Amino acid sequence: MNPNKTPDLSYSRLAKQGKRLDASKLGSKLKVALLSDAASQQFVPVLRALFADNGVDATVYEGNFDAIELEALDANSGLHTFAPDIVYIINSTQALRARYYDHGIEPELPRIERVWDALAKHAGCRIVQCNFALPYERPFGQYDLKCGNSLYAATRDLNTRIAQLAAQKNNILLCDVESIAAYVGRREWFDDRLWDMSKTFCNLEHLPLVAQAMADIALAGSGKLVKCIICDLDNTLWGGVVGDAGPHGIEIASHGDGEAFYRLQKFLVTLQKRGILLAVCSKNDRANAVAAFEQNPEMVLEMGDFAVFVANWENKADNIRQIRDTLEIGFDSMVFLDDNPFERNLVRNFLPDVIVPELPEDPADYVRAISALNLFETTAVSAEDLSRAELYKVEAQRRLAQASFTDVTEYLKSLQMKVVLERFPAEKIARIVQLFARSNQFNLTTQRHTEAACTQMMQDEANVIPLCASLSDQYGDHGLISIVVARPEGDALRLSDWLMSCRVLKRGVEDYLMNHAVSIARERGLRWVKGQFIPTSKNAMVKEFYAQFGFESADQLNWILDTQRYSPRETFISAAG
Amino acid sequence: MSSVKERLNAVFQDVFDDPNLQITEAMTADDVDAWDSLTHIDLIVAVEKAFRIKLSTSSVRGLKNVGDFIALITSKLEAG
Repeated sequence: MNPNKTPDLSYSRLAKQGKRLDASKLGSKLKVALLSDAASQQFVPVLRALFADNGVDATVYEGNFDAIELEALDANSGLHTFAPDIVYIINSTQALRARYYDHGIEPELPRIERVWDALAKHAGCRIVQCNFALPYERPFGQYDLKCGNSLYAATRDLNTRIAQLAAQKNNILLCDVESIAAYVGRREWFDDRLWDMSKTFCNLEHLPLVAQAMADIALAGSGKLVKCIICDLDNTLWGGVVGDAGPHGIEIASHGDGEAFYRLQKFLVTLQKRGILLAVCSKNDRANAVAAFEQNPEMVLEMGDFAVFVANWENKADNIRQIRDTLEIGFDSMVFLDDNPFERNLVRNFLPDVIVPELPEDPADYVRAISALNLFETTAVSAEDLSRAELYKVEAQRRLAQASFTDVTEYLKSLQMKVVLERFPAEKIARIVQLFARSNQFNLTTQRHTEAACTQMMQDEANVIPLCASLSDQYGDHGLISIVVARPEGDALRLSDWLMSCRVLKRGVEDYLMNHAVSIARERGLRWVKGQFIPTSKNAMVKEFYAQFGFESADQLNWILDTQRYSPRETFISAAG
Repeated sequence: MSSVKERLNAVFQDVFDDPNLQITEAMTADDVDAWDSLTHIDLIVAVEKAFRIKLSTSSVRGLKNVGDFIALITSKLEAG
């Protein structure tokens, strides 16, 4: 997510920027394929510019015009030769209209599914399917929806069926073009002249909105996710100043101009339930700030909804640093909401990675402005997302307990930690894929594996030992928090992936897992354990990981351990069950 | 107010991202490297925006050179 997310999504600016792009300074590479039944050329520079804004050098392959099935089904097509990381299937209502008048709507869904299956089989990459903007014509007038076979009703129905089918397939992500077209307005969206002249499927001015949605999906899949929203209080979460007006005098819900703030709080609650953490960073006396939540009966958010609550008179950049240290997430996964331009600029200056959206003057427009930035893209929602806020609250209690122990060993013992260590189980694959996608800091090789790849590891019992660890302690269940993939090769056990959620740092989980990895090697009669470190901008914390365990290395990247010289580390973790 | 040609020249410079580009009445797509069918669409959309006019598919198809373009824009502006 680009912190300076450009509000200017002008087609002409992005098209030019994309054409003169200097990709040499961009860190990561992405191979993007476009399959479309409309012209896709205009997407290329715009997509490249939007990816470049996020530090990604996107190489774009355009499938032949209106050859979606051919490209997907032919194992020797240009698409498969290109070997994309992600394929976008862009559908136009205009081409659908032509097919509909020839063959009706029924062939559409099987055709789409054939393409998905072929791509899954040959390409094994992520697939993003665009749905259809609803057409503008209503041959039956208001009666249109009652006759299921009008183009309008059939397209609406097709969109629903595409979504239902995609929900059953984890490798298919959706790009909701219909919602974008509806947001813009169908009257503005379609430009039939452009279709007639060049098979351009929408007014060019709106094409960047689709491209942005497409790019955001890819970025979310590579771990660029918003994990926390930090909110100011006075005039952001409610109207007025609680220190002056008191907990009952502030504007919220039916009081004063409180509707706008009520709407924002409801939106934040929805995000919180989805697994995004909420935090407060406010210049206030803490007692006043707390009183607003505890005493005002119309308040939507409660104290318990916040993972961290900071109200004091220190500068906000320092406070956000403290929030970051508590939650152990990256600055670039945090959004900061504040009505005050001074505070926004201060945070932008000192913490350039934090996403700081401009807020409109009128609080009535807050939710619309925030939502329009499309900050909350995700590629999966797991059961653990839904309870993540709970986990962090438990973590806060644990930190309080930690403060009362002077000896960390005593503290770790008191936690009574238990680990379940197992080969990838089928029912946890969604969470495993997500952890591969989300973990940036404690991640030795930062490989992002698809669901298909994880399933394959799970099934390949001869060559791969894919392990996942779940941790619980007396305060609660942390869920699945670490993944280690080991591969016996020759006389060595090679650790191709090793990652861990930063929520559970410094508990000895990694020691427990290394003990286990070495014992696997010994049981199999393998003399060596090999590890690899691939540096990224975010994983410096594990640079010395293998060194700590006595691995040796000539280049600091490839490490090797003699299992005969390893003595197991002491941990305070037991096997569960 | 600058002439239609001057304003059109600015649109060309913007679309082709070339501040030195100078249009002439006789100029055609063959004379400008980046002027392909794709940028042609970009050009028409940019002209419509700059001059606040709408151009029909058939009138756009009839354009032979930049001179035709200027004449088309002028007639649209006069028709108001």
